[in-house]
Formats: sequence, C-alpha cells, structure tokens
Amino acid sequence: MSEANMQTSAVISPVEVQAAKPLERPPGPWRTAWSKFRRNPYAMTGLVVLLVFIVSGLAAPWLTKYDPAKIDLLYANLKAGTDAHLLGTDEMGRDIFARLLYSARVSLLVGFAVAAGSVVIGTLVGSFSGYFGGFIDTCFMRLVDVMNSIPLLFLNILVLAIFGTEFSYMIIVLILTSWMSVARLVRGTFLQLREMQYVEAARAIGVSNFGIIFRHLLRNASFPIIVNATLMVGAAILSESALSFLGLGIQAPQTSWGLMLSNAQEFMLVDPLQAVYPGVCILLVVLAVNFIGDGIQDSLNPRQKMSERRIDRWRKSFLKSKI
Amino acid sequence: MTEFFIRRTLQSVLVLFLITLVTFGLIHAAPGGPFQIMLSPGLTPEALQMQAHNMGLDRPLPIQYFSWLGDLLQGDLGYTFKNHVAIGDILWPTIKNTFILMGVAWLLTLIIAIPWGIYNSTKEYSLSDQTASFISYIGFAMPTFWFGIILQQIFSIKLDWLPLADMYSMDKEGQVGNLLLHLILPVTVLTLGFLAAYVKYSRASMLEILDQDYVRTARAKGVREGKVIYKHALRNALIPVITIVALDLPLLVAGAALTESVFNWPGMGRLFVQMAVAREYSVLMAITLLTSVIVILGNLLADLLYAVVDPRVQLGKKGGKSA
Repeated sequence: MSEANMQTSAVISPVEVQAAKPLERPPGPWRTAWSKFRRNPYAMTGLVVLLVFIVSGLAAPWLTKYDPAKIDLLYANLKAGTDAHLLGTDEMGRDIFARLLYSARVSLLVGFAVAAGSVVIGTLVGSFSGYFGGFIDTCFMRLVDVMNSIPLLFLNILVLAIFGTEFSYMIIVLILTSWMSVARLVRGTFLQLREMQYVEAARAIGVSNFGIIFRHLLRNASFPIIVNATLMVGAAILSESALSFLGLGIQAPQTSWGLMLSNAQEFMLVDPLQAVYPGVCILLVVLAVNFIGDGIQDSLNPRQKMSERRIDRWRKSFLKSKI
Repeated sequence: MTEFFIRRTLQSVLVLFLITLVTFGLIHAAPGGPFQIMLSPGLTPEALQMQAHNMGLDRPLPIQYFSWLGDLLQGDLGYTFKNHVAIGDILWPTIKNTFILMGVAWLLTLIIAIPWGIYNSTKEYSLSDQTASFISYIGFAMPTFWFGIILQQIFSIKLDWLPLADMYSMDKEGQVGNLLLHLILPVTVLTLGFLAAYVKYSRASMLEILDQDYVRTARAKGVREGKVIYKHALRNALIPVITIVALDLPLLVAGAALTESVFNWPGMGRLFVQMAVAREYSVLMAITLLTSVIVILGNLLADLLYAVVDPRVQLGKKGGKSA
C-alpha cells in the first residue's frame, strides 16, 4: 500500500523535487519499523539475549568439552566448579552446563520450527478461507472451532501417547495445535481487503487467484503475522518444556530444559540449584522473544496497547503450557 | 436472541460431534490398533481373535464408533483396559479435587485482580501499575510448573513450613485445616498465572471506558471523581471482564495438568497425564470429550452472558463472535 502512495507522490511533484534536490527514496515500511524497533530498549535487550542463546546453542561443542548425554556415576552430584564442571553434575554424573547448552538447541529448534510451520499452515488456511469464502470458509472455521474447543494440552498429550514421543512428532503436533491464530488473522485481513479496487483491478487484468492471494493480499498481513509468529516461538518453547516435564516430550539421552526440570524435581533434596538453571533459561528466552514481539508490534502500531488479541493469545498459551 | 441461541447451540452440537470423530479417529490410528494393550500377551492367534471378538473389537470401525457414542449418550464412559474398572468411578472424584483447587485459585484471582486492575487504570504508571506490569511480563514468560518446584524447595524443603505435595497428610484424610495447608502452594502458583492476565485485562477494559465521551461529560458536569469511576465507568468496564471470566469457567473442572502433577494433586489433569503414560486410551478419550463438552458450554455461556449484561450487543445480527 505504501508503495502505491510513494508512486503517486512521485508523479505529482517531479518538477519541484528535481529543482530542490535529487529525490531521495523515502524509507520503506521495513526500515521505518526497524528504526523504531532499534530505539526500544526492551526489544533490543530481548534481541541480544535471544542471539546469545542462539549462538551458545550453536557453539555448544566449542563451549564445553563434556558430552551432555554421558553418564558417569563416579562423578555424580559434583558441586559447581569441581573438576571443570562449571555448574556441577547431576545425579547421573552428566555435566549440567553442557546439558543446558544442548537443551538450548532443542528448545530454540522447537520454537522456530513450530512458529514457521504454524505460519505456513495458518496462512494457507486463512487465505483460502478469507479469499474464497463460502463452503471452504465454513469448513475451515468449523475446524478452527473444533481445535479451540478441545483442551490443547490434553490433545498434545493424547497424540504423543498414541504415536510415541518422537521429536518430530512433537513438533508436528505442536504445529497442528497452534496454527489457528494465524489463520484467523489472515482470514480477517483478507475479508477486509478482497473487495478493494486494486484487487478488482488485478483480477481484471487477468491475475490468477493464486497470484492475487500471494502477491497482492498476503503482504498486507505480513506484519501482524510476524508479530504473531514471534510470540508463538515463546509459546512453543513453553509447550515443549511442559510436555518434556510430564515425560511425553524429549526423552533421554536427548536433553531439554523441561526434561532437566523433571529430573531436578525428583532429586530436589540432593541439589536444589539444579531446578533453578533450566527454569531461568526458559524464562529468559521466552521473555526475550516476548519483548521482541512486543517491540515489533509497537514499532508498527505504537498506539495499540495490550490488545484483546494479545490477551487472547496469552490465554491459549496459558491453557496449553502453563496450567 | 432466541434464534441466535438455537443456532449457536446447534453449532456447538456439530462441533462436539466432530470432536468425538477426531478423538475416536486418533485412538484408532494408534499403531497396532488401540486395544492391543488390552489383549493378554502370550496367547495363540486364535485365542487372541476370540478375545477381540468377545470385546467387539473385530467389528467394522463405524459400528464400533456408534456403539461407543451410544454408550456415551447413556452416561456410560466405558472401562479401563487393565483392571476393568468403570471409568466414571475413577473420574468423578478427581473432578471434585480439581474443582476445589481451581475454584480457590480462581476466586482468589478475581478478588485480587479486578479491583487491582481498576485501581491501576486510575493511576497509570504508578508504582502499583508498574508492579502489575512486571508481574504480568514474568507471568507470561515463566513456566508455571517451574515456579511450583521453586516454591516447594523454599517453603517445604528449606523452611519446612508447608507440605510438599498431595492433598492431605497421611493420617489426616478429610480434615479441612490440613487441606487448606496443602492448598497454599498450588493455589499461589495458579493465582500468579491467572493474575498476570486478569489485572491487565481489567485495567485495559477500564481505560477504554474512561476515554469515552460520557465519562468526560460526567466529569464536566462536576460529578465527583469517585462517583464517575465507580458508578459510571465501572459497570461498563466489567462487561468484557465478565465475558472472559465465563470463558475461563471450564478450567474449574478441566483442571491443571501441570500444577497437579507438580504437587501430586489427585485431580483430573494429573489423572490424564498418568493415564497417558499408562496408555489407557479409553480414559483419555473420556476425559478429552468431557472437557471439550465443558469448554463448549463455557463458550456458549460467555456469548449469552455477553448479550445479557450488555444490551447494546445484538448477537443475532452479527452472527455470533465465533464465526
């Protein structure tokens, strides 16, 4: 939309502009958003924290010499700092620091994979639903109703109990239970825009439905989708940790913060600190992602505060991963 | 209004029917068939077939589905695989326990959150408002079960003030005082989780009302500030709050799988997790359905309540919120 505005203004005043100084291309919506985002201290802190976690997850083999899965009962329950074990070892002699690092990989992978998958499915469902309307719309929306009426934590547990607790199954089931908010959002945008004149014009010059959906309509929904996806990363990380804590997510010898917490609860009497680290990691990452999401939202639409939609989204994640 | 109610009810019945299909389909998609676990191991194939035949498992799926549905409609939830206990007998007591836990947490939340949110809306960015903001940011990002573990470590293990888990101490079954002691920690965890959203929500809703023309008019007329807020604004501000409270009502029964697991509370959420680990599919099916029914009823109630408390809403024309 803003591109269209730019073009008209360029047509109206070429003479004046050339007389004054060479026409400078006004910053696009992405750059405007970024310059606002950059000045938001919370959002920037969030970005830095998230980057630290991503980098330390990726560089885990270089940051620690220990194998997170190696069991060595001779060195169980070491205190922090002994024998180069930075945070000590757990009840099976596994290095806690190494486990934290490798868990960051798992959590971030789940977070981003689930967000990406939900955006793809939600966008497809939402755009077809909003663009074509009618029977397709009714079917998809009843499906959304069904998904919103089944308690999603129960559904996740049910599916993992039936099909087994594979890592890929967990990602798939989390995607299948989180695409609904994106679908609604995209559908709403499409319903608003599909009667606009530029869509009609595109159709008149023979652009296919496919082209109208993906080239002309979808980009109007891109910002809200991004905000939604960012916050979804945090929700997915919380869901993963909850499922792993309950014993239905990540399984040993793999490692995850949720799984570490479930070990730590068992051995609470031995070393209380073991329960602190993974929880702090989850808290920091999710907080960082939420700050980034809020930062993007504010940079796009500073007047909108704690909107109903955001509360709604929060409620869903609450029901799914926190209660 | 009546028309809306009828259509909405029919819609709910349809959604419920779809949910039974989804649950039944999921269970029967289990590798090796859902009732594999039911059949005794070490039998000859002929004997296995006999057993399956006696249990009606060799009938075509649609017939099995309708006979299951018929039993459900008569209130027969079926039997567990392993000990052949009636599911209803293990389910109903857990619902009562969940209701006690969630009811206390929920009431406490309402008592604290709504007045606090309203107070904060009149003192924006005060210390109290900032505190609420802080709590909600942390509450949004923190895994609640982790908070529970930390509370256990501090108040049960370190200080030894409160019981670690369970609903009653060993020899004090049924004593109210003992129950209250056991309630403190889980209720704190749940209340903090709820509080994060409810304070923000009532504050946002109140702020929106305080911005309205009629509030300004009342102030311009010289109405005292206290009267403006508590007489003119409050009633309207409570409408969206009431709706979200009604939406959350199902939680009172559907329960808190994670909190209950952390504190070993014998509620329905914990039962679900235990049954998932034990692969008692028929119990999982029953609980999923039961909670879905309750969620659907809650949504229906929220819609109706919205129309009743706010005469401006004309549901029939808008076609309902859920579409």
